[in-house]
Amino acid sequence: MRRLPVYLVLDTSGSMTGEPIEQVKNGVQMLVSALRQDPYALETAYLSVIGFGNSATQLVPLTELSAFQPPGLSASGTTAFGEALQLVAERASQEVTKSSASVKGDWKPMVFIMTDGQPTDDWKKALGRFRQEKWGIVVGCAVDSADTAVLAEVCGEAVVRLNSADSGAIAAFFKWVSASISTGSQKVETSHNDVGGLSELPPPPPEIDVVGL
Amino acid sequence: MGRIVQLKATDGTEIQFVDDLVGAGAMKDVYFSPDRSYVVAFYRTPQDFNARQRLENLVGTYRERIFDQPGGGYWKDLFCWPERLVEHEGRLGIVAPAYRGNFFFEFGSRQNDFLGIRGKEKEGKWFASATHQTKYLDPKERGNWRSYITTCIKISRAVKRLHAAGLAHSDLSYKNVLVDPSRGDACIIDIDGLVVPGKYPPDVVGTPDFIAPEVMATLKLAKDDRNRALPRRETDQHALSVLIYMYLLYRHPLRGGKVHDADPQVDEELAMGRNAVFIEHPTDVSNRPNLSQIRKSELPWADISKVPFKVTGPYLTELFLKAFVEGLHRPELRPTADNWERALVKTVDLLQPCTNSACEQKWYVFDNTTAPRCPFCGTPFRGILPILNLYSSRGKGKFTPDNHRLMVYNDQYLYPWHVNRTIFPNERLSDSDRKPVGYFKFHGGKWLFVNQRLSTLRNLTDGVDVAVNSAIELKQDLQILLSPDEGGRLLQVQMVQS
Repeated sequence: MRRLPVYLVLDTSGSMTGEPIEQVKNGVQMLVSALRQDPYALETAYLSVIGFGNSATQLVPLTELSAFQPPGLSASGTTAFGEALQLVAERASQEVTKSSASVKGDWKPMVFIMTDGQPTDDWKKALGRFRQEKWGIVVGCAVDSADTAVLAEVCGEAVVRLNSADSGAIAAFFKWVSASISTGSQKVETSHNDVGGLSELPPPPPEIDVVGL
Repeated sequence: MGRIVQLKATDGTEIQFVDDLVGAGAMKDVYFSPDRSYVVAFYRTPQDFNARQRLENLVGTYRERIFDQPGGGYWKDLFCWPERLVEHEGRLGIVAPAYRGNFFFEFGSRQNDFLGIRGKEKEGKWFASATHQTKYLDPKERGNWRSYITTCIKISRAVKRLHAAGLAHSDLSYKNVLVDPSRGDACIIDIDGLVVPGKYPPDVVGTPDFIAPEVMATLKLAKDDRNRALPRRETDQHALSVLIYMYLLYRHPLRGGKVHDADPQVDEELAMGRNAVFIEHPTDVSNRPNLSQIRKSELPWADISKVPFKVTGPYLTELFLKAFVEGLHRPELRPTADNWERALVKTVDLLQPCTNSACEQKWYVFDNTTAPRCPFCGTPFRGILPILNLYSSRGKGKFTPDNHRLMVYNDQYLYPWHVNRTIFPNERLSDSDRKPVGYFKFHGGKWLFVNQRLSTLRNLTDGVDVAVNSAIELKQDLQILLSPDEGGRLLQVQMVQS
């Protein structure tokens, strides 16, 4: 069975302290509950969480949904965004099964990157490593004053902006992530596009701006 | 609870909905009425003239054509059909009945519903996956093999009705067909995507797993390209065959081990499209499941040597071959919904209860051997097994085989559709034809048929009439004439001792 690897790359820097990090934790919890209730996702999706503050750490390795335990997240330190890019690329290259002549590989992984700040490390170098991997969907989520230009460089046009002061915004983002992982009917018009582009994502919830769309 | 919105449907009916989004599909946002007896679903995008006209026909002419006929009420349970159109804040919506209660999980998953699915819709995928069946679903939700056959009969019958009305669903999938295997029930939903050949084109190409190979193979062509294949009756027929295969065997007929491309997306398009091959193709073994890549929870179902599709019996086997070998790339050869309904109904007569009370499937199809055994749990049948071969009269004293058998078990009933070839158990069956005419009983070491209401039953072997409320013992080579009428049936008895 072909797995759908999903990497959540979450900013745990000091600026996320308080309300935002709690909302993210809550969001991950909601995401997992929602996906467990979706029989397609439950069978297919595998989830990993990478957190980044002073450094980047894989908090949960790629795990099937029924066994997934949400990690404890605490916010502190700087924004090692580059390290996070590097790490997600390395983990994916390890954890995702590649196709061979006799083995059906996994789906290309989906990556959701959420950050609220400016990278404090050399992220451009890491971007090169990140781009070596084959990704399905890469979505950036810019919380509050986050640098959308950086995210746009990583994620292309798939960057959404949200305001943490709006209590439902982070929840809505995770709901959207959950909807992107589930499948449904494919529309006639969108199907010319390569599957895996932003056009395959469900429409974003009304609370979110999609930058560049 | 949210605000209650009051509005008038285009036909003047008062409609109310609670302004809390309860679900969002690919195109629509769904809201409940305050009493939850119906839903209002609004299209997120404006509907053009064509789409609007299609919806008007859907709630009007097409609905009337199916429901406002004698016996039309039968279909109310099989379809969740939109009844009215509404407009609210510039958005067009449809009003449809809410799903019946048995299509929501009562028990949900194991361990006191650790997945939290109690109260959620019974999306078919829960039941079409071996992992979900064996690892997650509460056993009380699962049903048995016989109830899956009944579920598939309901689905086939509903699709047959759509096709008979000149319509195609265009997006049959386990998302759009709710099932309740614990009661052998099914209901087709999301009917607003209906395709009317030559009149209203489809909006969606379908749902992964169910998209027909020709549609998959031409996905990238422009919508108006002459070679682009879009959903129509024949693609429904493919989707229906896949649904039936998955509900009976908990695996996908085309998802095997063959690697078509190193890129998973390209591989998927080829595996479901141009290069699609049946995993159980009789001669092309290139797509056999690769058991080294199968999760334990998918066994034994993923192992086609353990549970080959032939366990579904001769009638369904023939149709699976038509659907996934002959007709896979030749849509005109695919079995029709009517073919499926008939084959499934006949297969019910081949079912035998498994003697192992712990068997999860409980029923299996007689395998036509002298030593029958349950293919699911391996328990052999012990005892004497009567098999009735059905012949029917085609004029003066001439009886020809109907390729139809009835397996006998304790408390098995004989029905009017066994007595006469011209009677078929479908939605048109009269009330009196729904009642049994007799039953079978193993009594005092003998198999008996007890005649309850056949006035003309005759034992042809010794030429004696069998009166109502009397019994006849089943023996090897016994011939019983059930009815002397045109189409009347003769039973030829075989006894298997094991």
